[in-house]
Amino acid sequence: MNTLNKKELIIGIAMLGASLAYLVMAQQLPGHDGVDAATVPKLLAGFLSLLGVMQLVSAFAKPKVAAEPASPVPAEAEEQPTEVIEPRTVLKTLGLILGYMALLGPVGFPIMTVVYLYLQFLVLTPVKQKARHLTYLLIAVACSAIIFLLFREAFDLLLPAGLLNNFI
Amino acid sequence: MLELLQQGFGAVFSLNIMMLMAVGVAMGIVFGAVPGLSATMAVALCLPLTFTMGPQAGLSLLVALFIGATSGGLISAILLKIPGTPSSIATVFDGGPLMEQGHGVKALGVGIVFSFLGTIFSIVALMFIAPQLAKVALSFGPHEYFAIAVFSLTLIATLSAGSMVKGLFAGALGIAVSTVGIAPVEAVRRFTFGVSELNGGFSMLTVMIGMFAVAEIIKLAESGRHAVQGKARSVSMKNIKGFGFSLKEFREQLPNAGRSGLIGLGIGILPGIGAGTSNLVSYIIAKKRAKDGHTYGKGNIGGVVASETANNAGIGGAMMPLMTLGIPGDTVTAIMLGGFLIHGIQPGPLLFISQGPLVYTIFAALIVATCMMLFMEFYGLRLFIKLLDVPKHILLPIILVLCVVGAFGLSSRLFDVWSILLFGLLGYAFVKAGMPAAPFIIGFILGPMAETNLRRGLMLSDGSFAEFFTNPIAGTFLGLALAFVIWQVFSALRPKPSAINEILRT
Repeated sequence: MNTLNKKELIIGIAMLGASLAYLVMAQQLPGHDGVDAATVPKLLAGFLSLLGVMQLVSAFAKPKVAAEPASPVPAEAEEQPTEVIEPRTVLKTLGLILGYMALLGPVGFPIMTVVYLYLQFLVLTPVKQKARHLTYLLIAVACSAIIFLLFREAFDLLLPAGLLNNFI
Repeated sequence: MLELLQQGFGAVFSLNIMMLMAVGVAMGIVFGAVPGLSATMAVALCLPLTFTMGPQAGLSLLVALFIGATSGGLISAILLKIPGTPSSIATVFDGGPLMEQGHGVKALGVGIVFSFLGTIFSIVALMFIAPQLAKVALSFGPHEYFAIAVFSLTLIATLSAGSMVKGLFAGALGIAVSTVGIAPVEAVRRFTFGVSELNGGFSMLTVMIGMFAVAEIIKLAESGRHAVQGKARSVSMKNIKGFGFSLKEFREQLPNAGRSGLIGLGIGILPGIGAGTSNLVSYIIAKKRAKDGHTYGKGNIGGVVASETANNAGIGGAMMPLMTLGIPGDTVTAIMLGGFLIHGIQPGPLLFISQGPLVYTIFAALIVATCMMLFMEFYGLRLFIKLLDVPKHILLPIILVLCVVGAFGLSSRLFDVWSILLFGLLGYAFVKAGMPAAPFIIGFILGPMAETNLRRGLMLSDGSFAEFFTNPIAGTFLGLALAFVIWQVFSALRPKPSAINEILRT
């Protein structure tokens, strides 16, 4: 239960931090007397900070038994009590998405999609299953080609072709 | 009205649109049925496909997706005992036991038929109530709109799952994010940090794709490798007459269905709470009112009827504030609002005057999509069951690629692609913090509306705030919002929270 309290405290700090950052930025907006473009952001920043403080207070004041379930979907959490959380997979996934988006322009959609899908399938393959490299590669190539051509031909959306620009 | 409706059906009954809608309903059912995918995701991902279509075809497709996805949740609720969407939670209570007792087909048949009836009931209600509501809304000025926006925001922020402080924070943060870009009225640049792409603010679609789809993929990465994916059991359709249940059973359930339909419609109209709540409320009421209440939860078709009628009756309810006031009641209608805007249509009271034929085309599309859903979902069941078995680690990366395509398609710039990652991370942080995402989305959409109308209202009343409270309609809504917050605070402080409040909060 102690960890939950600590978690609520961290959430409170994050809430207050975001609110104060917004408050500082709102103060720097150009304005004039009366209600102007900075009024609503300033009011909002005040309200956000107030909520942040309330969260902090409740994290301190809350007794050991927490009233609220930590998960937004309590029903699911109850069904899977032994959920294993893997921060490494999350980081790998984020890295892949980041790389995919960064190289989408220069390398192009068709190639990057194949690379991303193949690697992401590998990263997310359940621990109890073996990675099927050929199947993954085939699915990746097929998806990339179908999506690229479908949007190009049927929906008039030119996805970045990148390196393949001269060939398509 | 009949003439307009006839025109609407005329527009929908073209080969092109009918095919699009059939695909839309089928895709919607898949998105509703697969746990982890949602109606919001279905509409958000298919929105880019409608860019090049006309408004009639585009909106018909979106409507078809909405209906398919809302009812699709019952498939996994009954077969896997996992609700595909929050709107089918109560379906599991009796659908699961019925499946175990070998009455799977009956449960599915009852669920699908009463989903159909619930939807049709709500669409008819929509068709009769919405034009009247639009007439009233025509006289609304900035004061009223500001008050309604504040009321809707308060309702959604206080009623969403978890603590009220977090709900309110999420809503306010949504408004804060919506202040990025050029300010209304004065055209001052706010929080753009010199980035020209930020002048227009973040696009609604990128916010929603990020919060709902990208966040979902990051979430899967967290635990998906160890999660056991339930295997859907198939049901035998041999020797099945009609929809698998008798006429007597159907007649017995009609009072229950009527009551649940009204509950679903009523809760659906309110902003902030929708099918996710109404299915539980109507289940509990049905259980209390039934003669055989003790058999609920052990495999009584009444439970499936109550849940499925109510969640589908929310469709028409949720469309009412969207079409008459331009205010989305939940995240699916929020993305529908995006669909309207992309096709150059501004929902609101004027929609019924300026775009009368289009409004009735949407009504016709709703009815046709509902009929398609009835037959496709029941007779195409085996196909949908197969799709439930597609592994998540294959499905979600492909969805991410579609998210990227959707974001890029908005205005062909990579900036929007980066935005979905940003909001994906924010959505993931929300999940970790136990903060609800829906108030954030509604805050993001209603924020500019509230601010613009606040500024306009102040201009009209020479800078005086008093008019917001003395105006009868605006005053009532603001008063209701305040009363609601006070009631919530009061009930949170009380040692014994009431049962209905518990339901609303979960």
